[in-house]
Amino acid sequence: MKRKILLGLVVALGLGLAQKTLVFGSNGEPVSLEPGNITDGISIYVQRQIYDTLVDFKPGSTEVTAGLATSWFSSPDGKVWTFRLRQGVKFQDGTELDAEAVKFNIERWWDPKNPTRIDAAARYEIWPELFGGFKGDPGSILKDIQVVDKYTIRFILNQPFPAFPAAIGSGYFGIASPAAIKKDGAKYGSPTGSAVGTGPFRLVEWRPGEQVVLEKNPTYWKKGFPKVDRVVFRVIKDPAARLAALKAGTIDFTTDIPPANLKDVEADRNLDAVFRPSFNVGYLALNPSHKPLSDPRVRQAIAMAVNKKAIVQAFWGKLGLTDGHFTPPSMKASQSPKVTDYEFNPQKAKALLAEAGYPNGFDLELWYMPVSRPYFPTPKEIAEAMAADLSAIGIRVKLQTKDWASYLADRKKAPGFQAYMLGWTGDYGDPQNFYDPHFACPIADLFDSAGKPLCVKELGDILTKAATTPNLEERKRLYQQADEVTFNLALRIPIVHSQPLLAKRKNISGWVPSPLGSESFESIEKR
Amino acid sequence: MWSYVLRRLLGLVPVLFGITLLVFLFLQLIPGDPAQAILGERGTPEQLAALREKLGLNKPLYVQYLTFVKNILTGDLGTSAVSTIPVAEELKRRWPATFELALAATLVAVVLGIPVGIVAAVRKNSILDTLSMSLSLVGVSMPVFWLGLLLVYLFAVNLHWLPTGGRLSTDLAIDFRPLTGFLVLDGLLTRRLEVLADALRHLILPALTLGTIPLAILTRITRSAMLEVLSQDYVRTARAKGLAERQVILKHALKNALLPVVTIIGLQFGTLLGGAILTETIFSWPGIGSYIYEGILNRDYPVVQAGVLVVATVFVLVNLLVDLSYALLDPRIQYR
Repeated sequence: MKRKILLGLVVALGLGLAQKTLVFGSNGEPVSLEPGNITDGISIYVQRQIYDTLVDFKPGSTEVTAGLATSWFSSPDGKVWTFRLRQGVKFQDGTELDAEAVKFNIERWWDPKNPTRIDAAARYEIWPELFGGFKGDPGSILKDIQVVDKYTIRFILNQPFPAFPAAIGSGYFGIASPAAIKKDGAKYGSPTGSAVGTGPFRLVEWRPGEQVVLEKNPTYWKKGFPKVDRVVFRVIKDPAARLAALKAGTIDFTTDIPPANLKDVEADRNLDAVFRPSFNVGYLALNPSHKPLSDPRVRQAIAMAVNKKAIVQAFWGKLGLTDGHFTPPSMKASQSPKVTDYEFNPQKAKALLAEAGYPNGFDLELWYMPVSRPYFPTPKEIAEAMAADLSAIGIRVKLQTKDWASYLADRKKAPGFQAYMLGWTGDYGDPQNFYDPHFACPIADLFDSAGKPLCVKELGDILTKAATTPNLEERKRLYQQADEVTFNLALRIPIVHSQPLLAKRKNISGWVPSPLGSESFESIEKR
Repeated sequence: MWSYVLRRLLGLVPVLFGITLLVFLFLQLIPGDPAQAILGERGTPEQLAALREKLGLNKPLYVQYLTFVKNILTGDLGTSAVSTIPVAEELKRRWPATFELALAATLVAVVLGIPVGIVAAVRKNSILDTLSMSLSLVGVSMPVFWLGLLLVYLFAVNLHWLPTGGRLSTDLAIDFRPLTGFLVLDGLLTRRLEVLADALRHLILPALTLGTIPLAILTRITRSAMLEVLSQDYVRTARAKGLAERQVILKHALKNALLPVVTIIGLQFGTLLGGAILTETIFSWPGIGSYIYEGILNRDYPVVQAGVLVVATVFVLVNLLVDLSYALLDPRIQYR
């Protein structure tokens, strides 16, 4: 009897203490676990679990909140940013997080001559993209980094950059252990090397093509987190296979489910459909280098002729919404209340065309992407729907496409594509990240009648001013103005802001997807 | 015979050179700039230029080719432009997965295909024959992708009998350290029977999926080879001697019908070793096929060049082995 009781106790304890493993179905494998060196979504997703960033974002939003830094402020001219670091935070290798460690990380990303850079591998492409250039480049926003004291770090900028905390807090810039980087050299962040941060989980093993295993970080600074003992990123590239694995219970949760599978997910009583708040825009670009399109009335007529609501309903259903803003709904504060959307009105569009001198329409080459993206899951079919709408006002559309790499490159070669579909997913929660790559002067993929990269001076000036003014209210007003101008220009007609479809098994709770594309798994529980 | 083998191996050298040149030229034919393909929607002109420089794309074509050949001759298969992992390392790691799957699929084809082919030939024009030939036609024409998903939904999602994909269950994969990478073998070597069983369970559906086409081909080839042999005089003589039918078929007919069958088995096995892109994708099987496929999608030149070269070498070697096996089957064949 005693033995039975003892056995029962052991079993009960065993069950209670059983390790909780969360299995994530990953649509690919990471390229590198070295922060700042890579921009692919999966690498960042895994990195997000291992590393913390200087500032964080409130769950499910783009609002900046404390991360490794507990507070931060800028000088009145907006050129000096000071961050106070959380004290007592340890990297997973036992070394301490301090201002020197932060400086070490930033200098690797910023300075191309930094000796601790992993040369053969290094791309570090995201730093110049977000901060104007590397050290020594004329456009570099960063001028200097100073360690003020053990827990205070200061960034001296060449120009005011109000979005600096949001940008430096983006998932690309996880703070890694300097000791681990120095020890591992070129192997750091690769399958045969380490990846050491201060985040909720630590790297145990990365088996390329198969899985990445992470384990609870016992010294994580946020008490009571993470809620599970282990996270496994299991690589299942094919979406149908991933959904099958979720249904079979091989994986607990996953992302990048094709929108067409929403019904299937909702019909399965073991599964929940989860929506990631939209942080993208899929648009139709109209190139003024093509004569009829140089007239804003023609572009506006096109915006009125395309039945965006019907298209979004047909191709995205619950997973998409359409409005007149280039920025996604999570950036409401910087959107102008005056901008709603062009009403769908073929008669009015036709009248506008006639007014512009094209009563019988014209021929238009419309380029659609050869690949599926979250913002355009089925580009060809969407293009066909738009072409049908345009034919109703006399615009004779010829659909065109070419392989993806050429598509991306050729649109930037003058005179560019006449009209083309493309989109953008944001890096950090600031409108600058949406406007500047698409509308700042000169615009790389739209051209004027002379074949030169287009520059709309009025808009360019607003964006330059918005990007540099330290006054937040003024900034908001400027972006609202940019919203109105871009709407009237109709150079890029926003077709959709899509919500990526994710799914989980019912026994998983506490998963709050971030619009930014990756979130920490620390609060996820498994029953 | 050895001089024959040596000659064949020497003959491999120009073949492989030809392959390097072909792969290199074909990659150049793919439209679009690899640097742009790697950087995607992003990438400023400066970043593109820097990446092109790093990948050596701004050098003249012949220089790029000569560098590639020189590296191969010195044993360097290059480094992936995307992951920066040495290609040789990755191929070595993925090789066992592909080999194990190819072997299992071939086994499926041989174990089922030859007997069914024999029965179909012996019972020519019977219902059994018609049925097996119709099924083999379905097998050849069924899209692998569709078949794979069908099997997954039936046996994994609905019946829960077998796993949906991968080579080991998550929990086992975490703590098990493979010795050779051939998981079935590793399970035996380490005496971890649960690993052996789990690896076998994971192997069933992909092997069935991948084995379907070779199975169908093999059934048809065996049938037609047997039919041809069964009409020969010596078979009639054997029967006239009063030998049991089983002996006539298995000893006299089958052995002589095996030559084309072995050729097909060898060719199919060689093809499967090149990696099965679709099967590997559906079953998340970390093999060579999916690796090269990803390489093509990403315009990852080093991966594609080295990958194709290795696969081609293996293919040629398997064919050599097939040729050598003829002598075993037919003593009249001699290698000089």
